[in-house]
Amino acid sequence: MMQEATPETQGRLSPGIRAARAKSFRKSLKKDSTLYLLALPGIVILILFAYLPMSGLILVFKNYNFNDGIFGSPWAGFSNFEFFFSSMEDSLRATRNTVMLNALYMLTGTFFSVAIAIILNELRSKWFIKITQSVMFFPYFISWIIIGAILFSLLDYDKGIMNQLLQTLGISQVDWYSSPWLFVIILVLANIWKSAGYGAIIYYAVLQGIDTSYYEAAKIDGASRWQIITRITVPMLIPSIILMTLLGIGGMLKGDLSMIMGVTFLNPLLLPTTDIIDVYVYRTAIRSGEFGFASAITLYQSVFGFILVLVANKLAGWYDKDSKLF
Amino acid sequence: MLNTENKGLLIFFYCCIAIFSAICLVPFILAVSGSLSTESRIAAEGYSFWPRGFTFETYEFLFGSKAQQILRAYSMSVIVTVLGTVSAVLVTTAYAYVISVKSFRLKNFFAFFAYFTMLFSGGTLPWYLLSTKYYHLGDTLIGLFIPYVLSVFLMFLMANYFRSIPHEIVESAQIDGAGHLRIFFSIMIPLGRVGLVTISLFYALQFWNDFYLPLMLVTDQKLYTIQYLMYNMMANIQFLASGNAAQVGGAIIAPPLETAKMAMTCLTVLPIAILYPFLQRFFVKGIIVGSVKG
Repeated sequence: MMQEATPETQGRLSPGIRAARAKSFRKSLKKDSTLYLLALPGIVILILFAYLPMSGLILVFKNYNFNDGIFGSPWAGFSNFEFFFSSMEDSLRATRNTVMLNALYMLTGTFFSVAIAIILNELRSKWFIKITQSVMFFPYFISWIIIGAILFSLLDYDKGIMNQLLQTLGISQVDWYSSPWLFVIILVLANIWKSAGYGAIIYYAVLQGIDTSYYEAAKIDGASRWQIITRITVPMLIPSIILMTLLGIGGMLKGDLSMIMGVTFLNPLLLPTTDIIDVYVYRTAIRSGEFGFASAITLYQSVFGFILVLVANKLAGWYDKDSKLF
Repeated sequence: MLNTENKGLLIFFYCCIAIFSAICLVPFILAVSGSLSTESRIAAEGYSFWPRGFTFETYEFLFGSKAQQILRAYSMSVIVTVLGTVSAVLVTTAYAYVISVKSFRLKNFFAFFAYFTMLFSGGTLPWYLLSTKYYHLGDTLIGLFIPYVLSVFLMFLMANYFRSIPHEIVESAQIDGAGHLRIFFSIMIPLGRVGLVTISLFYALQFWNDFYLPLMLVTDQKLYTIQYLMYNMMANIQFLASGNAAQVGGAIIAPPLETAKMAMTCLTVLPIAILYPFLQRFFVKGIIVGSVKG
């Protein structure tokens, strides 16, 4: 699992071949020194910002203080876990929110991306497709902070467009920024708005690669447009949909801190549904300095995430050997 | 060929796409309109899609009293984007070249070394502690881009481009005595230029839009990027609006000007909006290549 299986690593080697290999490896070290040099900056970055933080998970067994640092702080045994379980409610809330929001993003995002791709595939006007595709892709380029600012002008209680609209329709106004469950819908819609156009490009590209003879054959057989969509286009997309979904499952416990910060400004009234794990860690550790506790959450997030990656990989392997991640 | 059922469905499809496209643009119209409205009418009547009392007052205000702060944040964003993109592209293409060299025995190991970090991470907290305490990136300029100079996804995208370059060209260069550095700089980079442009754009966009790094690492106002300045404006106004003003007493609070927020929004989006028509097709190409497995 630690290394990608290649024909070279798979086969069993006799001692003679192994010695020859070792010799040729030393040779390659000399011959390929430029390659090691080229890879060096990347390796350093990966070690500093990806591998060393993994080892930082020992924090969970430490009584962290800022002066002694990660490795100098005294050991704390399992006391951080006691702390973790003592505020189980908050941890569970953060987990539930992360999984819930990600699941909703995945379901609705995939649905809209696929729907847009299928519809674009039906349209004939080239300039219409080009223009609308560019327009739908544009929100992908906008940061969550900006989206948050614009959302505020839509949802503000007094001045927002939404409440003005409700008022003209004679419906009572809604205080969006203090309705945690309504805000779930808003987050989901904002996510669709930002990323559906981007996702549609991927699926549209898959559809462009479908052999046109399938469509011609269906037309000759007298299939209606709707039948062609449901019997040919959708089945053709299913492998990509499954693959994208499986890839998404591994990231189920990763939240988007920028999104929540940008859109809700950490509004305390919205925390019941927007307090995802990353936000929780940010609030408890980086803002308030409760490091031991937050590291227990981080470890839990990593372990749970690790299990999800393994499950997703297994599922991908069952579905299609080539889809396996590792 | 077209019967009525088909025609109706087709019209429905055109409408769906037209409506969704419109929804994608509407919020920006709202922002532009808000920035061109007068403060008093926004306060009294609320936001609207058409400027309320068309005026450039807000921009005059921003460029008058806030000019220094905004210009500094703007130039900070430009500096971070340029430095970040240049270093990221160098680091990424070099690494991508290494794993794309067919004869290199450790190419799979290096590929997996990068790939593994896509699957597992230590989480926010150890990352934060290492960055601030051990690497001392807090309140530094390099802290605003160094952690992002190797996106593993873009690295694999670039490696795919390099692999698509015919091997015969590399072989003939090797026969002529070219080393890896020579091949990298005078063959791979010029021939991989479409890929290079794609990843440069993705990086530039990421650095321009980033506010995670300033959030984690910056307290010094001199290092605020435009996105982070924007966030602070919004967060402070939100605090005022939710009645928690007393708790943040002492903090510097931007004037709670609704139109100023919208004007800042427009200023932040402006560079992207100007470049977008020219750059959009590269992104599309990049996504399509990236989504093709292999």
